[in-house]
Amino acid sequence: MSETSAGPATLAEPPTEAGPPRGLAGIAWHWRNDPKRELWFAWYSMIIFYNIFVIVFFIMTHAQPPPHPDWSDAQVVSWFNGNHNGLLIGFGIVFAIAALTVPANALIAYSMRRMSVSRAFAYSYLVMYSLSAFPGMLLLCVVLSVAAMRPGRDPAQTHWLYDFAFLSYIGTMGIFLVGSLVWMLAILLDKNRVLPKWFGYLNLCNALTEVVVAPAWIFHRGVLDWNGLISWWINMVVFGVYTSAFMVLLRTMIRREDFGEGPLPDLPNTLKAKIAALAGAAQ
Amino acid sequence: MTDIAQAEQPEAETKKPARHIPGQPDMWVLVLFEALVFTAYFAVYLFHRSAHSGLFLRSQAYLNPWLGTLDTVLLLTSSMFMLHCVQAARAGVARAAMTNACLTALLGLGFLISKVTEWILLTRTGHGFTSNEFFMYYFFLTGIHLLHLLIGFITLGVIMYQLRSPKRGSREIVETCATYWHTVDLLWILIFSLLYVVR
Repeated sequence: MSETSAGPATLAEPPTEAGPPRGLAGIAWHWRNDPKRELWFAWYSMIIFYNIFVIVFFIMTHAQPPPHPDWSDAQVVSWFNGNHNGLLIGFGIVFAIAALTVPANALIAYSMRRMSVSRAFAYSYLVMYSLSAFPGMLLLCVVLSVAAMRPGRDPAQTHWLYDFAFLSYIGTMGIFLVGSLVWMLAILLDKNRVLPKWFGYLNLCNALTEVVVAPAWIFHRGVLDWNGLISWWINMVVFGVYTSAFMVLLRTMIRREDFGEGPLPDLPNTLKAKIAALAGAAQ
Repeated sequence: MTDIAQAEQPEAETKKPARHIPGQPDMWVLVLFEALVFTAYFAVYLFHRSAHSGLFLRSQAYLNPWLGTLDTVLLLTSSMFMLHCVQAARAGVARAAMTNACLTALLGLGFLISKVTEWILLTRTGHGFTSNEFFMYYFFLTGIHLLHLLIGFITLGVIMYQLRSPKRGSREIVETCATYWHTVDLLWILIFSLLYVVR
């Protein structure tokens, strides 16, 4: 990231003396002058990726929530026939934007680099998430696309591809579990106040719900199968809260970033700062 | 005005210690969030229990209520020692705090052994994770709770690390870890009630 281009900046926010213009000109201004443009690029990549991910997986392909694991060959074939165009077009889009996960993961790794902890945390997180993107997302897209591509294939083969795709997707939860624990440990050990401690604990909650997915390898029906009430629905609520929290917190981190070494400064307009100012005025 | 009002207050009232949340306030996010997640698990369990009450009652009869009670007594006693540990740490008596932390760990280990023994006895009599819906919930809820207990051992390790040196001895960290341990205890009481007691 542009640590050198930041120069002697000490403010959490970019300098606003001249003030960026509004609208498209404002975007151009930030592109040229904002020392945090690379960080913002990574953050917007994350937002764009997750939005498209939700649209493709939940609306276009219906791969989320996953269909039932105990379906017969005929039901599986019927599901592929019903979602034929959605699967091919949707996963085509995913292949086009999948690389946006790289800057998104890099931003999370950057948050750990900014902390007062070993770089091993950031590097291990980056490697884990980079590798898990293949079995955890791309393999599901490839295999479901293969099954959808030729509707006339033997139903038993189509069913095999169906199981393979969803088990591959479910099976990588362990990597996300360890990734969450690495991030948690970094946040709890950090002295630079990059991210709040409560988010460290929220990482633990997220990791514990990833464990609950493991029984999906055993059960074909009920609350613990791969689309079960406990193993998918409750987990998805936790994951939604967790993901929303880190998107907001990473945005705040970028706004607070001073490209220094020590603790991150607080934003001047936070509730905490306002309370402190009011307390000062009352005295 | 403010100064006069303060001066008129009785001395005892002005010296009242400020109320504070034990440990890091951030830890309470974990406590509340885990409470919500477990509430969801319990709601799912109770919904299925009401739908298959006969099966659940028949299966429940295979559980040993004495082992469940022993588990509860072990964890409640461990929480009591944890409380003494925090009080001793607050008073700056590191040795007593360490003794209580060790006793807490010992009782936690007793719970772990008791729970694993119960699992082995059940599976030997043909009541495993996949036997029926009741045992699926039984092994799931007790299993995820045991995972929380294992994390509790890590927090006990953190407490002992803090207490070993007077330079470290952070009261806040001891209280934070104790909060986690009490949460594990509370979750067990709810699980025990639902699986062993409720008929």
